[in-house]
Amino acid sequence: MSNPVALTPEASPHAAFAVTARPSVVRFLLREPASAVALVVVVLLVLAALFAPWLAPTDPYAGDLANTLKAPGDGFLLGTDGQGRDMVTRLLFGLRMTLMMSLVAVVIGCGLGGLVGFAAAYYPRLSGLLMRLMDVLLSFPAILFGLALTAIVGPGLTAVLVALSIATIPLMARVVRGAAIVVLQQDYIEAARALGMGDARILTKYVLLNCLSPIFVFVTLRFGQVILLGSLLSFIGLGAQPPTAELGAMASDGRNFLFFAPHVSVLPSLLIFVVVLAFNVLGDGLRDALDPRMRR
Amino acid sequence: MTVPLLELDDVRKHYPVHRGLVLRRQVGAVRAVDGVSLRIAAGETLAVVGESGCGKSTLARLALRLIEPSAGAIRFDGRDVTHDGRSALKPLRRQMQVIFQDPFASLNPRMAVEEILAEPMLVHGIGDAASRAARVRELLGLVGLASYHADRFPHEFSGGQRQRIGIARALALKPRLIVCDEPVSALDVSIQAQVVNLLKDLQAEFGLAYLFISHGLAVVKHMADRVAVMYLGQVVETAPAKVLYAQPRHPYTQALLAAAPVPDPAQRHSRPTLGGDVPSPMTPPAGCRFHTRCGFAQARCREEAPGLRTIGPQHEAACHFAETIPAFARFGGGARHERLQARLALYEQKRAAMIAAETTAA
Repeated sequence: MSNPVALTPEASPHAAFAVTARPSVVRFLLREPASAVALVVVVLLVLAALFAPWLAPTDPYAGDLANTLKAPGDGFLLGTDGQGRDMVTRLLFGLRMTLMMSLVAVVIGCGLGGLVGFAAAYYPRLSGLLMRLMDVLLSFPAILFGLALTAIVGPGLTAVLVALSIATIPLMARVVRGAAIVVLQQDYIEAARALGMGDARILTKYVLLNCLSPIFVFVTLRFGQVILLGSLLSFIGLGAQPPTAELGAMASDGRNFLFFAPHVSVLPSLLIFVVVLAFNVLGDGLRDALDPRMRR
Repeated sequence: MTVPLLELDDVRKHYPVHRGLVLRRQVGAVRAVDGVSLRIAAGETLAVVGESGCGKSTLARLALRLIEPSAGAIRFDGRDVTHDGRSALKPLRRQMQVIFQDPFASLNPRMAVEEILAEPMLVHGIGDAASRAARVRELLGLVGLASYHADRFPHEFSGGQRQRIGIARALALKPRLIVCDEPVSALDVSIQAQVVNLLKDLQAEFGLAYLFISHGLAVVKHMADRVAVMYLGQVVETAPAKVLYAQPRHPYTQALLAAAPVPDPAQRHSRPTLGGDVPSPMTPPAGCRFHTRCGFAQARCREEAPGLRTIGPQHEAACHFAETIPAFARFGGGARHERLQARLALYEQKRAAMIAAETTAA
């Protein structure tokens, strides 16, 4: 074809600079000191929780009444609790339980919330009904859900899980609907329709893929919030019941010895603080890293 | 007469306007497209021009069957496709493709160019992986890009290059008609020329028909065989491009042509311009829709809506006085101002001297 003005690569004066490196999200995260630290902390914590059964020096449930309430350093690295159980072990297993609980709640909540959000964005007729339903859910605080559920099914992890999942659904639905509506207005969606593409393919390959950044950021931030809420529910005695090792329950457990053995309560609380902080900072870092406008 | 490739017959698109949250009731309708009939023959370029908000883009989407018409019929190759469902439309999608205005919004940013170009073939189940890859290379070559561009992502390209990718995607299924919705309006003037020439070359090579939506009159003059001028959802004049530019018979067409810039400093202040705004398409004026802004409007125009009527070979206009209004006088079309002429001659002299000096030096 004779096209005298075609931009052949040879003719382009910028050809030498045409090879552009697309910095990965991880590399961008590491460039920012705060998010780099947060990422490392999160990875370490998750690894510690995963390998708790192998890392822990003792059995998390076997008490030793001869060594109760030892201070940190006194024969035990972080001391012992009121039953004489090693705090290192308890913390590792507590972290494992807390993270698992939050993970399940976030997966269920964000999964269902995501479906509702996409449905509301793609089928405007459903939008009014679905989003008003979400508003109703949103009007109840998560604590209230927890209280109501424990009144029905009794205190325990199930009640906390369900409460946290339900509390996450409307938030996720709103985030996803907002992101999807923006993407659906783009010309490339219309181009896909003009090609004769089906709804399922458009939703997965075009809409979902372009909504991933906000979803990713929301899930990370929500994970931190869910950990805090779950620990809170356990702390007030609605969630994990003793002797289960769970950070909130452990913090609650140590209240009785707060004046002469503060580490029993303070250490799990500190760990909660670190986990939540790490996830929040990571979430903020991800928001910047995934936003192309922040990258240049 | 031969069957046109695409035929729009009195097509309308009205968007209902509701009021009230609980007791929703329709209080009116935005008449985005209000009774438009067009025919495009195979291999022909029909341009649709008009101001922003006159319904051009809605018309493009109606022609593509991306939105449902409120009334009227759309025929492709003689077959009525107005009421076809999604599966029935799928073969039609191969015949009819689209190029968008904004090259930054028309490509999926998460897909490499190779995927973007292979997608149409995948959706229609054409070829295997190897033949699709070969076709992607071929398409890139057709639009003046290199094969190594295939695994780049859209954000790595300039606006003009992205528009080329959009054109390649439209070509992937070997369509017979491409709807170009302001394909060059978002591009630099220098790039506009490249893309317009590319479109013309592709038309010559593949016998494509274009429905060319634009508000750039210069581009349309260069591209179009026939032009339809739209105002407030209706076609007010249609004619072969040459005739329309030389003898526009509708006052609105004349105003549009007069508004185009004329590169003549001597004519700086002498051009009449159109006053006022486009009336609301919710409540279009009674009678002729243009009478609120027309310099020749008379009592009849306020009461009786003029229909399109033939006033010359292939020339139709919707004006009661199409024959009697003064002929369009092109400003700046005549002789250049003598002082400008002298200045330009001076430039020319200087340039010739420089070229002469260069050749002797070489």
